[in-house]
Amino acid sequence: MKLQHSLGGLENLGPVNLETRVFVESWEKRIFGIHTVMMSESVHLADSLPKYSVATLPTEFKDTWTWASLRTGAEGMQPFEYFKYRYYEKWLMGISQFFVDKGYVSADELASKTDHYLRNPDAPLPEQENPAIAKQITDYLTKGDSGQHPLGTSARFAKGASVKVRDPDAVDHTRLPGYLRNKHGTVDVVYPGAFSYFVSTGPDGIGAPMPVYRIAFNAEDIWGAEKSEPNTTIYADLYEAYLDPAV
Amino acid sequence: MSDLFKYEEEREAASAAKVRALEALLIEKGVLGSDSVDTVLDHFETMAGPFNGARIVARAWTDPTFKQRLIEDTPRAIAELNLPAGMEGAEGEHMAAVANGDGVHNLIICTLCSCYPWPVLGLPPYWYKDPIFRARGVREPRAVLKEFGVPIAADVEVKVWDSSAQIRWFVVPERPAGTDGMSEADLAQLVTPESMMGVALVTPPAQSAQAS
Repeated sequence: MKLQHSLGGLENLGPVNLETRVFVESWEKRIFGIHTVMMSESVHLADSLPKYSVATLPTEFKDTWTWASLRTGAEGMQPFEYFKYRYYEKWLMGISQFFVDKGYVSADELASKTDHYLRNPDAPLPEQENPAIAKQITDYLTKGDSGQHPLGTSARFAKGASVKVRDPDAVDHTRLPGYLRNKHGTVDVVYPGAFSYFVSTGPDGIGAPMPVYRIAFNAEDIWGAEKSEPNTTIYADLYEAYLDPAV
Repeated sequence: MSDLFKYEEEREAASAAKVRALEALLIEKGVLGSDSVDTVLDHFETMAGPFNGARIVARAWTDPTFKQRLIEDTPRAIAELNLPAGMEGAEGEHMAAVANGDGVHNLIICTLCSCYPWPVLGLPPYWYKDPIFRARGVREPRAVLKEFGVPIAADVEVKVWDSSAQIRWFVVPERPAGTDGMSEADLAQLVTPESMMGVALVTPPAQSAQAS
């Protein structure tokens, strides 16, 4: 089990952070922007529902980069490091490592360029506008990348059905919150259609299009009556691969 | 001793220089244009942001039939409003609204990451992304809400929505008392991102003025 897969329910963490800003340092905007440009240029978008023409986009970026990429990286971090660094610090670590690992930039040139900007924080960026990429960014942000497909076979569960959440092996990445594993819930909504995920998660079980259900859990059934707050319902959207009939 | 908890001395300056170096190299190598990152950031200033969610909520407060349609079929109801393009765009492909009131208080969370309805709310604030909120929000939502200044009566049901698949949730908060006769545009000014995630109530203008 990875701690990041089972954050929900972790106790003894102290008060919540009430910071309402999105970016607490101005540099954080830039890494958010780079990530979102990468998602807009991702080669997998050629096969997405809007059929973006990324194959002919004038960019040297030739990889798939989705939420699954970022999430897999965050879930793979040493858990103490995960807690040590702020949200966008983790993004900067993961994304810069990706570009080094894939050979887009070398570790040495990143280090020396970083040193340059550390000494000259106001030194400008290179000027090389790319209107085609700008258009693709706007297209991607306004049209999105839905994983919804027609439902091939019928959904296994109906509204009102009692289900038990499976406990599959989460290897690198999962969309099954750890605190729901082996818990009992009720199908509240069967979402129309079937939903793919960006990648196959292997033995975890998602990737190919499958039904997704809104499952309602009584909080007492998750935490136990004595450890649960009263009158509380938790809803989660779960892929069919994560569910078994309750026996 | 492990140096795991040792931070770089100039932590923020180092990150600022590294991200600038990365962007510069990616521009030089043709991975992105010098206008690419700004194109993204501009989108979240003008097209996608909590200003859209606030207009949706204000309409729901002034038109109960719209509110009902919003809860039943969120994308279709949003399409009735004259909002910027892209309300079904990135991170809004499948949105759903839930309403506070009638003995129910809703709290939106993403325990695995930071899923958030971009077109109507923009980007997630820091508290939403923080691991402590994500850990505690599902286990003790009432205690968490109290820390946010929102005590929930015992007879009110708390519904927690964990964004674990395609749906991006947002809350229609309760309309505050003392706002009768206010215009939809003025009402929208009262609606905060936190109120649309369930960790704040909307306060009427007199109280807002006192608070600020």
